[in-house]
Amino acid sequence: MDKVIDFEHKMAAHCETGTLTALLNYNGLNITEPLVFGIANGIFFGYLDSSNFPFPTIIVRSRPGQVRENISKRLNVKLNKWRFKDPDKGESKLDELISKGIPTAAQVDFFYMTYMPDWQRVHINVHFINIIGKKDDKYIISDSYYPRKSELNSDMMRKARWAGGFMAPKGFMYYPDEIPENIDFKKPVIKGIKRACRNMISLPVPFVGVKGIYKFADKIKEWPSLVRDTDHLSHEIMKINILLEDQGTGGAGFRFMYATFLQQAAEILNNNNLLDLSKRMMENGDKWREISYFAAKIGKNRDLGNDRIEELSLLIKKRADEEKDFFKELRKAV
Amino acid sequence: MPVDKMPVDEKKKLTHEIKNLIIEKLKITHITAEEVDDDTPLFGKDNPLGLDSIDAIEIVLALKEKYDVRLADQNLAREILVSVNTIADFLEKELKNQ
Repeated sequence: MDKVIDFEHKMAAHCETGTLTALLNYNGLNITEPLVFGIANGIFFGYLDSSNFPFPTIIVRSRPGQVRENISKRLNVKLNKWRFKDPDKGESKLDELISKGIPTAAQVDFFYMTYMPDWQRVHINVHFINIIGKKDDKYIISDSYYPRKSELNSDMMRKARWAGGFMAPKGFMYYPDEIPENIDFKKPVIKGIKRACRNMISLPVPFVGVKGIYKFADKIKEWPSLVRDTDHLSHEIMKINILLEDQGTGGAGFRFMYATFLQQAAEILNNNNLLDLSKRMMENGDKWREISYFAAKIGKNRDLGNDRIEELSLLIKKRADEEKDFFKELRKAV
Repeated sequence: MPVDKMPVDEKKKLTHEIKNLIIEKLKITHITAEEVDDDTPLFGKDNPLGLDSIDAIEIVLALKEKYDVRLADQNLAREILVSVNTIADFLEKELKNQ
C-alpha cells in the first residue's frame, strides 16, 4: 500500500497537545496548541513520593490522555479510538485508515523513533505522533518534536506501539471523526480556566496543585537522606531541570504555554485582566526556569550542601506562594 | 528581515555581541570571540566552545536578560541554539516585534 496524505507538518512544544492540535487543524478547526492546552486544563503540579516510584518526582501537567479527553468533551469533538492487544490487528487497522486518507495519532515508545538523534532517544511510553502515510513498507510520520516529516519502518513502528512497561501504549491510536462547525471558544475557555484553578488551589489532596509545590519545597530538604551517595543526589537534583524544561513542557514546566493560553483567552473573552495575568504567568515561568537552571548547576557541580538545598527549597516555596495568589486571582477574573 | 539581508556591519555587530555574551556568561577562557566562527555548531561532540545542556539554559537566560526574548520551548531552543548565526536570525526577528 502506497499512500501519502497531504498533511501540514508543524513542530510543537509538547507531543500530546501538538499531535492533537495538528489533527484538529487538518480537519478544519483553527485552534492553537496553547489554546488546546488551556481549554483542557493541562496546567498542573504534583509531588509524587509513593512506593510506586523509585525516587520522589514531580509532574507539571495533567495525566497523559486527559488533554485529549477534555478537548473532546469541551469542544464536542468526537474521537475514534482503539487499543489492540494483537499487533497484527492494530497494524491492519492503522493501514486501513491510512489507505482511506485519514491521518491518525498513535501512542508510541519514544525510544523507537529512530529519526531522532540517538542522544535524545529514551524509553517514554507516552509519546504521540501523527501517522500520515505509508510507502515502501515505511510509515510517514509527522512528529511534532522533529523539524521535518520522517519515516519509520513497520517493524520499528510495531515495537514502538506495543512496547511493554509502565503506561504501555497497547497500540492506542485515534483520530477526530466529527468536529462541530463554528465552535464558540468562550465557554470551553472559562471551563478550562475554572478547572485549572480548582486543580491548583482547591483539591483537598496534600500533594497536588499549590499544596504539591509546598510539599516539594519542604520534602526536597529530605532528599539528601534518601540517596545512596552524592552522585545519586546530583542525578536526582539535575532531573528537576529535565522535568521542567526537557520533556515537551513548552518551557518552565508548561508555565510559558499557559501564559500564551491566557493571552489568547484574553482576546476570546475580551478580558484585559487575563492579559495582565498572562504577563504575570510568563514572569512566573521565568522564575521556574531559574529554579531549573539552579538545580542543574548545583547538580552538575556537585555543590549539594545543606545551604544549597535550602536555597533551592526557598526558590520553590516562592513559586508556591506566587501560584497560590495567581490562581486565586485567575479564578476571580473569569 | 533575515540576517543574510541585514547590512553587513549590523550583522557583524550582532554576532559579535552574541559571541561576547556567551563567552562572558559562561566564563569561557580558552577561546576568544574572534576565534568563534558564526556557523560553528555550539553544541555536540566537535564544538570548540565545549558547551553542554546546562550552558544552553544559561544562554537562554542570558538572552532573556540582555534582549528580553524568551526561548519558551525546548524544541525551538534546539533549532535556535545551533550556531551564533541561528541565534542572530532569531534575535533579529524577535527584536523587530518588540
